[in-house]
Amino acid sequence: MTDVLDRLKNAIGSARRRLASVWRIARWEAKRSVGTIDRRTAAFGAIIIVLTAAVVGSVAVAGSAGLAIDRDIYRVGVDADNPYYPVVAESSQLAPAEPNQEALATGDLDVLINHPGEDVVTWYVAETEKGSAAHSTLVTSIDRYNERRMADEPNESAAYPVRVDLQYVSRQSDATTPGGSDDGTQSDRAAEGGSADTAEGTDTSDSSGDGTAGAASDEDRSTDDSTGGSIPSIGGQAFGGSQSGSPATIQPPFPFGSLLLAFIFLVPMNFVIQAYGGTMLNERINRRGELLLVAPLARTTIIAGKTLPYLLAAIVLTAIIAAVVGGGLLSVLAVIPIALGFLSATFVAAMIARSFKELTFVTVTIAVLVTTYAFVPAIFTNVTPIALISPLSIVVMDLQGEAVSIGEYLFSTGPFYAGSAVLFVLGSGIYREEDMFTQKPIPAKVIDALNAQLSGYASVGLWTALFVPFVFTAELLAIAILYVAPIELSIPVLLVTIALIEELAKSVHVYAGYARSRFERRLPVTVGLGIVSGVGFFLAEKFTAIAQVVGLPELAIGQAAFAPTGLTPTLAVGLLAAPLVLHTVTATITAVGARDGRLVYASALVIATIVHAAYNYGVVMLYA
Amino acid sequence: MIAVDGLQKVYGDFAAVVGSTFSVESGEILGIVGPNGAGKTTTLKMIAGLIEPTEGTATVAGYDASDPEMRQTLGFLPEESPLYEDMTPRSYLRFFADLYDVPREAAINRAMDTLDRLELEHRDRRIGDMSKGMKRKVAIARSLVNDPDVVIYDEPASGLDPLTTNTVLKFTRELKASGKTVIFSAHNLYHVESVCDRVVIMNEGQIIARGTVHELRETYGSREYQIRADVSPSGIEAADTTIRGGSLEHLFTADTIAKADQIRETIDAANGTVLDFRTEESTLEAIFLELTGEPMAGSRQIQDTAADLEHRGAAGEAS
Repeated sequence: MTDVLDRLKNAIGSARRRLASVWRIARWEAKRSVGTIDRRTAAFGAIIIVLTAAVVGSVAVAGSAGLAIDRDIYRVGVDADNPYYPVVAESSQLAPAEPNQEALATGDLDVLINHPGEDVVTWYVAETEKGSAAHSTLVTSIDRYNERRMADEPNESAAYPVRVDLQYVSRQSDATTPGGSDDGTQSDRAAEGGSADTAEGTDTSDSSGDGTAGAASDEDRSTDDSTGGSIPSIGGQAFGGSQSGSPATIQPPFPFGSLLLAFIFLVPMNFVIQAYGGTMLNERINRRGELLLVAPLARTTIIAGKTLPYLLAAIVLTAIIAAVVGGGLLSVLAVIPIALGFLSATFVAAMIARSFKELTFVTVTIAVLVTTYAFVPAIFTNVTPIALISPLSIVVMDLQGEAVSIGEYLFSTGPFYAGSAVLFVLGSGIYREEDMFTQKPIPAKVIDALNAQLSGYASVGLWTALFVPFVFTAELLAIAILYVAPIELSIPVLLVTIALIEELAKSVHVYAGYARSRFERRLPVTVGLGIVSGVGFFLAEKFTAIAQVVGLPELAIGQAAFAPTGLTPTLAVGLLAAPLVLHTVTATITAVGARDGRLVYASALVIATIVHAAYNYGVVMLYA
Repeated sequence: MIAVDGLQKVYGDFAAVVGSTFSVESGEILGIVGPNGAGKTTTLKMIAGLIEPTEGTATVAGYDASDPEMRQTLGFLPEESPLYEDMTPRSYLRFFADLYDVPREAAINRAMDTLDRLELEHRDRRIGDMSKGMKRKVAIARSLVNDPDVVIYDEPASGLDPLTTNTVLKFTRELKASGKTVIFSAHNLYHVESVCDRVVIMNEGQIIARGTVHELRETYGSREYQIRADVSPSGIEAADTTIRGGSLEHLFTADTIAKADQIRETIDAANGTVLDFRTEESTLEAIFLELTGEPMAGSRQIQDTAADLEHRGAAGEAS
């Protein structure tokens, strides 16, 4: 007992010392990084930022006040007592002028509105293209003017005699969500988080007009309750705001504004990773990192200490942006894994780049990829579950006041967290004297990084498993990109893409091991490595079961990518064993190729991909 | 204090270090010399735990080189030790002292004491504004910030001016006097000869000779007795004849003292006068040349350095 307590005390003491060291390095790194910018440059930068903000702010304020480049572009002849005078006066594009027939003829007026009697209004439009445009603008301005007046009307029923409440819902699905009831009740994710207010006591109708919408709303609400019971929600408020007006002026709930606001979170990341990548590469190029390596510190302590200031900077910036754009804690929590993703990828880039030029190239590539991954799916927020593969969708939902379940949060952010951890581990493998200060081409460094993690059979299986988050991420991105393509095209392309991604994940480290003479070249060893890699992938692939949490397999394209549902037990067992066989066979093919050099490996990868894609096609056909 | 056993480092098909085995006693200064690519730096970095050996072991103060705890007892000065140029020596040394868990006050006192001994002024100046010699002194002070039992210096005086070199060499001897164990690597054999108790000579990754400088001379070098006389008796052949002060001066050489005595007796018999008698021993450089068949990089610098020191009146310190 005493022994256990002593060990526990030692472990706690060691952890405290390590944390203290991390904090010391972090403080030093932060102080040093700030110190590298001289005061004049910092002041100059601050002035530029303030001026930019002032200009943008002025433009925004002026814009809200009606400033436009087409201000007063059309001249309309109208008397002050004419009922159309306010329309013209309030329009930014129209300028009221003295009504004069001659002026219309000479082109000084584009439209002339006479008001000879109480109920008589006569319009004259100049017979020019500008006259036609002015007329069109006038008509639009009249509509807007009327809309504003009706919106200002205290007696709402007088302004809008007929009232219709619209409720936007997600695409209906056939499958039940894991958190829902198991009686086949359909789930409606969009109803989660408080659409009950809208449904309750309202005659709701959908576009089909079959009169079942009211019942559907009740069902939705009960499903929502049951879901809420099993998967607690975080950060939820009532869904969206409300808008009223004529049917022509009501916009569907495309979250463009929220999406743009969410995008703002990504912008500062680029500055943070440039600074981070620069400092890490500097340590290598100037060999300064050697002195830290010879200090009594673990590599992980050094890396954590040097990364922490940049992670904290990203978090602080995110929190500030969230406060400005109206996001909450949920937005910050959703952006943190993206920040980690940026930092971890930049860390690896800084460990493999040979120069600042190479680093810039790699970090820009990373920024584009991560931004694409985060931004593109978020466009489909509120449209399809695919959007949830991006943490930005969580931000969009937060900005809209929509509830997010823990399952959804984990689904969105899990790959980022896991991927970041794997990248940091990979990078830390080459954070050592022998790799940091040598100049090798990037592919060779990547092979070194992979090779550094290998020690035997078990490590091969482990690293195959650790690549699964990347596989998952790449496959989700492929789904998001192919989502808009016709299904006849998207499914075959997706099947081949997925096969290639998975075969690469199962074999690239085996190739690295052979390239660095880590493994024996005897056939039994090679086959053993293939089998271990295949089994590792099979076990870790079950990670994709999380996809079920948000109902991605409900989509045809999702079914093609992930394990299908609704199978008979016999078929299910068969489909459980079949992937195991597939993965071990194809991993063995690529392992044999990896053993015999780059060209043979590439050929083996093609063969394995074809075999894998054929298998995928068979499964899809079988399920279809 | 340091034990190196069968240390080997192989990069692909290239063996950087092959089976190095040696030890260093407490309070001793061991010099490692060898040409570029001999494996000196790789050996030192394996001892410091920076490079993982392919085979063999290295222990420092009882710790395996791979044990992070070992680094608490070690002060390492790499050949290139770039500093953080935006910091001052004071803040730089304080940061490293923090990393070694040295109490702040003790760290400052120790650092200032070291800088005093190294004769470094301007301690609050930005490191980036310092000369190369001043930066090297800061780097040396950094290597001692944790008061290590063992210090490993890789080319500590490389590229420094003669005065700074002299300061660094003197300081290294002081380290030994204070009980520290030192491994000292250099191209410059003069530096090694003037500082080290024992020497290991490496070439192409292997240790090809070891011992004290005296032992190396005894084993691998030669001794020559030179006799200068004003006559050249028949029966013995002069190695050289020069005119000095209007008179002829003959140089006779012998490889044993018996032969030298015989030459002297012959000169006496010919009524000649022995003008000078001296013993010339092989330099470490000559031994190195003998062993490796190639001149040391920096051997030219040896003479330059000695000449500069003499010129500046510091020859006594350097010899």
